[in-house]
Amino acid sequence: MANIECPMSGKVWKILVKVGDTIAEDDEVIILEALKMENPIFAPEDGVIKEINVKEGQQVTEGDVLVVLE
Amino acid sequence: MSEFGYSMPRYFAKMDDLGNPIKKVNTKNAEELLAVEAEVDAEVNRIKTGGKPSEKVNAGGEWTAWQRIDYLVEPGTWCPLHTIYDPTANEEGTTGVIDGIGKVNGKWVVVIASDNKYLAGAWIPGQADNITRVTDMAKRMNLPLVWILNCSGVKLSNQEEVYPNRIGGGTPFYRHNELEQLGLPVIVGIYGTNPAGGGYHSISPTILIAHKKANMAVGGAGIVGGMSPKGYVDEEAAQSLIDATRGFKSTPPGRVEIHHGVTGFFREVAESEEAVLDAIKKYVGALPAYNPEFFRVADPAEPKFAGEDLRTIVLTNQKRAYDIYEVLARLFDNSEHMEYKPDYGLEMYTGIAKIDGLVCGFVANKQGILKNYPEYTKDYIGVGGKLYRQGLIKMSEFVTLCNRDKLPIVWIQDTTGIDVGDTAESAELLGLGQSLIYSIQNTDIPQMEITLRKGTAAAHYVLGGPQGAANAFSIGTAATEINVMHGETAAAAMYSRRLVKDQDDGKSLDGTIAKMNALIQDYAEKSRPIFCAKKGFVDEIVKMPALRNYIQAFVGGVYQNPKSICPIHQMITPRTIKDYMDVYVNKSTVRDN
Repeated sequence: MANIECPMSGKVWKILVKVGDTIAEDDEVIILEALKMENPIFAPEDGVIKEINVKEGQQVTEGDVLVVLE
Repeated sequence: MSEFGYSMPRYFAKMDDLGNPIKKVNTKNAEELLAVEAEVDAEVNRIKTGGKPSEKVNAGGEWTAWQRIDYLVEPGTWCPLHTIYDPTANEEGTTGVIDGIGKVNGKWVVVIASDNKYLAGAWIPGQADNITRVTDMAKRMNLPLVWILNCSGVKLSNQEEVYPNRIGGGTPFYRHNELEQLGLPVIVGIYGTNPAGGGYHSISPTILIAHKKANMAVGGAGIVGGMSPKGYVDEEAAQSLIDATRGFKSTPPGRVEIHHGVTGFFREVAESEEAVLDAIKKYVGALPAYNPEFFRVADPAEPKFAGEDLRTIVLTNQKRAYDIYEVLARLFDNSEHMEYKPDYGLEMYTGIAKIDGLVCGFVANKQGILKNYPEYTKDYIGVGGKLYRQGLIKMSEFVTLCNRDKLPIVWIQDTTGIDVGDTAESAELLGLGQSLIYSIQNTDIPQMEITLRKGTAAAHYVLGGPQGAANAFSIGTAATEINVMHGETAAAAMYSRRLVKDQDDGKSLDGTIAKMNALIQDYAEKSRPIFCAKKGFVDEIVKMPALRNYIQAFVGGVYQNPKSICPIHQMITPRTIKDYMDVYVNKSTVRDN
């Protein structure tokens, strides 16, 4: 199991996965919007999406757990 | 292996490794870039196939300019420039000349040819600007200029756009002499009829080689016919003109009999198309040029990674960052480099690398979020593509070091501008931007610039942009966009007050919104790669895998006959880089251990 943590403050722009999805390492999981840039968050390892803790449009800060993998 | 030895191998034989293989091809991104490259190819093809059909030119016993260049320039070395340049949107769709850098008889030269498919190579609007870019390039790279001339003179219906002005038809005559005064020969092969402007194009170079049917003259048959003293043309005047022209048609002035047989202006007369070009090769062979081994620090080596990868790495979505180190790894020999102050001025890459075994300086924007940066504020964080205090200072230092060591510089831009606001002003960014321009202007080393993606605001100027005297040429890619600011930003700047007023007046916002969107669309159209190339914002749009070819031509050309040299063992830049890393970054000096 791995947590995907937020690397920086920003707004969740797009969530590209849903609970139950199987994902591979380096797949894009979430796109954050910060400083007018799209900042993709990639899967650190292969896994299945267990939890998604944020919604599109939500403000997030560094260290927030965005997604839990199993 | 070279038979020559190399100085300072501890610095240059094995530099720091750079880059990784791409994990997977970004097909969508590659396809978007390929689509734009195909649009550019279509424009090039339009010019190549336009005008008088090649078959007709050949049927008349002549080669086209493209065929002449193909015969003259060594295969694999031709780097075309200004191919679709047409700043005045001529009806011909070209400026009527073809140019670029390539190797002739083993030496780098700047080549320019009259495009004889269009109006027999006439002067048309924009041509003088094109030629001036070319003579400037020869001057800045200290390279010989080769002309393949076939110029019928002014397109008379457009004389007011062609003949006069500061950059006008006659400008190249002065520029050719300027090159000669700088010790740079201009070698011309002359074909066809070259009256008036074509005549001075012919006579101003250093060595004149004529095709047996060529002629050059102060004026052609039409001019010799003279002015009608009546101030208008009637039937009598027309008949007199017909008679005069018929006479001159058979014997245009300034033929080989005169300018080889009498004046001796033509150094040689060649019997065939290719013999003219062979003679050019012979004279280029007589020019001085260093063996590149004289300046090499290592054997030439290709990058470890394919240039094709750049279509995956450089993202067309400008809101996405990419890793500039991965770009550089596809440009440098053996994907090796030495980076100057990597932990200072985080938004900029500055470093040295080898291109065909020759040392060159590189400056490039990094992309992505820069946490805990810039150091002068806690109110916001930095983002790659913007310029901040440390980056500006670092670039000034690096440019100054390169100048001291006589290293050419390649600038790779992807910039959204310099940081703005009172915080940035307090951090002296206005002054430091101009300081960088001062540092560049203070150099006498040739520089080239690649607008890899965005060139925006004053940052496009300060990052070695084409406005600087040191810039030899600038190229773009299928991802290039050049504008003072993004269209949305401009629309907001122009119309935000209007929106407020509309709302306060109880008016519909639709009209203003439509104007804003029209402006955004207009910005998009006028920032695209093809527009940039047609207007001359860049000197060519280059396919991603070919970027290294242009850098090779630039670096190879600059090292061919440098105006001044720095002994490799007396260079300071590699030592500054090594010691800064040892002392401040890696803490790996004898005392540290």
